[in-house]
Amino acid sequence: MKIPAISVQKLSYWYGNLQAVKNIDFEVMPGEILGFLGPNGAGKSTTIKMLTGQLRPGGGKAQVLSREIGREDPQLQAQIGVCFEEKNLYLEMSALENLDFFASLFGIKKPDSMEALQRVGLGDRAKDRVNNYSKGMRQRLMIARAFINKPRVLFLDEPTSGLDPVTAAEIRQTILEESARGAAILLTTHNMMEADQLSHRVAFINEGEIVALDTAENLKLKYGERAVRVRLREDGEVREESIPLDKPEASKRIAELAASPDLMTIHTEEATLESIFIKLTGRRLEG
Amino acid sequence: MKNTISSSAILGAILKKDLLAYSRNKLYIFLTVIGIIFFVLIFWVTPDTVDETIVLGITPSIETMLENAREELIEDGIQQPQFELFSANDIEKDLATEEGMQVLEFEDAEQMKKVLEGKLKLYVSEDGTLESIDPQEDHEKKEQLKDAEEKDLHMGLAFPLNFVSEAIKGEKTEVTIYLDAAVPNEMETAMQAYVQEIAFLLGGHESPVEFPEEEAIILGHDRAGQQISMQERMRPLLALFILLIETFAMASLISSEILQGTVTALRVTPMKVGHFLAAKTILGTCLALSQGVLILLLIRAFTVENWHILLITMLLGSLLFTSVAMIIGAAGKDFMGQLMYAILFTVPLMIPAFAVLVPGTVASWVQMIPSYPIVELLVGSTIYEVGWLDYWNEFLYAILWVAALYLIGLVILKRKVETL
Repeated sequence: MKIPAISVQKLSYWYGNLQAVKNIDFEVMPGEILGFLGPNGAGKSTTIKMLTGQLRPGGGKAQVLSREIGREDPQLQAQIGVCFEEKNLYLEMSALENLDFFASLFGIKKPDSMEALQRVGLGDRAKDRVNNYSKGMRQRLMIARAFINKPRVLFLDEPTSGLDPVTAAEIRQTILEESARGAAILLTTHNMMEADQLSHRVAFINEGEIVALDTAENLKLKYGERAVRVRLREDGEVREESIPLDKPEASKRIAELAASPDLMTIHTEEATLESIFIKLTGRRLEG
Repeated sequence: MKNTISSSAILGAILKKDLLAYSRNKLYIFLTVIGIIFFVLIFWVTPDTVDETIVLGITPSIETMLENAREELIEDGIQQPQFELFSANDIEKDLATEEGMQVLEFEDAEQMKKVLEGKLKLYVSEDGTLESIDPQEDHEKKEQLKDAEEKDLHMGLAFPLNFVSEAIKGEKTEVTIYLDAAVPNEMETAMQAYVQEIAFLLGGHESPVEFPEEEAIILGHDRAGQQISMQERMRPLLALFILLIETFAMASLISSEILQGTVTALRVTPMKVGHFLAAKTILGTCLALSQGVLILLLIRAFTVENWHILLITMLLGSLLFTSVAMIIGAAGKDFMGQLMYAILFTVPLMIPAFAVLVPGTVASWVQMIPSYPIVELLVGSTIYEVGWLDYWNEFLYAILWVAALYLIGLVILKRKVETL
C-alpha cells in the first residue's frame, strides 16, 4: 500500500477571528499532481504555508512524507521544494549563485546548478545578475530553484505565471517529468487549461473549504453539462444555439438541425473546470 | 529521511551569501571606504595640542600683603629674619616660573570674582597691567584694549590683607578659594595645599589656615576637559561613526531579505530561523568590529596597555549596533521607513560621543543612553588609559545594555521573519 506524500486531516487556520482554512482534508500520493484551485483569498496560500512549515496549523493535523507539520523540521524541509508566486530571489546575485546558495542550504556538495538552469532555458544567462532578468526569466529561475534538491514533494504556486506560451509549455513538461520521477506535486494555478492538462486530481477551494476534489474528468461528468453548439444562418444572419445533451428532446433537435440547409457548424461542448467552479461556488477563479 | 546538514554548514552558507550581498552593495561599500578615509583625515587635521596653563588670580597683590605684614610686624615688635629674605619681586619671579600656572594679581577681590563669574572680561597689557571691562557696555574701552591679551581666569585665591603677618605669627587665618564648578576636586585640594605651603614658607611652621566653603562659580569651563586635545576627544566619536555606518549597512541587508521575501524562501529549506538570526549577528558584529578596529588603528588609539580593553569595548559596541540594526531592519517597511527608524534609534546613541567633544554640557539623562558606557570605556581606555578594575562598573553596565538590546533585536526580528 502506497503511503501518501501529503496527508491533511481537518486542517484549519485563523487570522484573528477570520477562519482562512476550514477543516480541510486531502491526500497527495507520490508521483501525483494535485491541482489546488481557488480564487484569491480562498485559503490556498495559507494551506501551503502550513504544509511547508511557514505557519503553525490552527487546528487539525497534516503529515508531509509521514512527518507531522507545525514545527521547524530541517529533515523534512530537505525533502521539499517550493516555487513561490512572489519572485523572492537574490537580485544582486547571479542565477548560478542563487542556485548554488540554496543547494548549499540543502547540504548538496556539488550541485548541478548549471544543469538545472539549462533545464529551464537559462544556461546561457547563468552568470548574469538576477536584477537584469525579465519577469519570465525570474520565474524560470524560481522553478529551477524549487527543483534543485530533487524534492520528493513540490509545492508550485502559479509556476507558469508571466511566461510566454512556449516557455510555459516547457515548464509544464518539466513538472510532468518531476511527477514521473515520483515527486508529489501540489499545484496552485488560475490557469484552468494548465490544471486540466497537468493535474491527476483537482481540489476546488473556496472560502477556506474544499468544495470538490476528484479527477478533472469525474468533476466534468459529475457537475458539467454536455452540450452541442450549432451555428445557423437564418434570413442572412448567423445565429448560435446550444443544445444540452442531457435533455430528452436533444436528439430530436440535433436531427432536425442536421437536416436543415441553414446549419453552418456543429460542435460538442465540454464542461470546463472554470464553469464547474462557478457552478459550485458562484465565484470566478480569478476573483 | 536523509540529507541532514549541520548547523555550521548552514551558517557558513548564509554568511558567505551575506558577505557576497554586502560586497555588491556599492552604496555601503562606498560609504564605508569614504567614511574611513574621511574620519581618519578629520582625526589627523584636528589639533592635538592644548594650552594647559592654569590662570590663577590672587588678591590682594603680593606687594600689598607684604607691605601690610611689615607694618604689622614692626608695630608688634616682632623680628622675622626669614621674612626679610622675601621681596615681592622674588615671589612674583618664583610664581612666574611655576610650570603650568600663571598668576595674576588683583587689588580688588570683587573685580577678581566678577572676572571668574564671567561678568567682566580680563585683559593683560604688555606691561602686565590688568584691565577688566564689561563686554556689553565698555565698547570704547574694549577698542582701546585691542592690543592687550585676553585672559580666561580659572581659579582665584582671596587672601586676607594680614595673611602674611598672621601666617608668621602662626595665628588662625582664612583664605577663600574661588573655582570653576567644573574644575575637578583634585585642583581644589591642590590649591589648599598650595596656600598651606605659602603659609609655611612665610612662617616657617604649620599655619592654621582655614578654607571657608568654596564658592562655585559657573562658567562652563572644564579644566580637565581642556587638558585633553580635541584630537583625542574625537576618537570615541569616530569609532561610533563607523559603527553607525555599519548599522545602516546591516539594517539594509536585513530589510532587503524581508522586503524581497528571500527570507520566506530560506524558511522552506533546512535553515532554521535561529540560523538566520545567528548569521546576521555574526556578520554584523564582525563587519562593525573589523572596521571599528581598523579606524582605531589608523587613528592610533591602540596602545600596549589598552588594546584588550579597547577590543572588548569595540566588540560590545559592534554587538550593540548590530542589535539596533536588527530592530531597524525588521521595522522598516521601505527605504524611507528604514531611514526614519535608523535616525530614531541611532541619533540618541551618538549623543554620549558628542558630549565628549563638549564637556560640561552632559545632562545626567545621557548616562541612561545604551551607548554611554561604551563611550565611557572608549574615553577611559584611549585617553586616560584606565585598567579593567577602574572601569568594571562601566563594563557591567555596557554588557547589560548590549544583552538587553540584543534580546529585543532578536525577538523583533524573529517575530518579523516568522510572521511574513
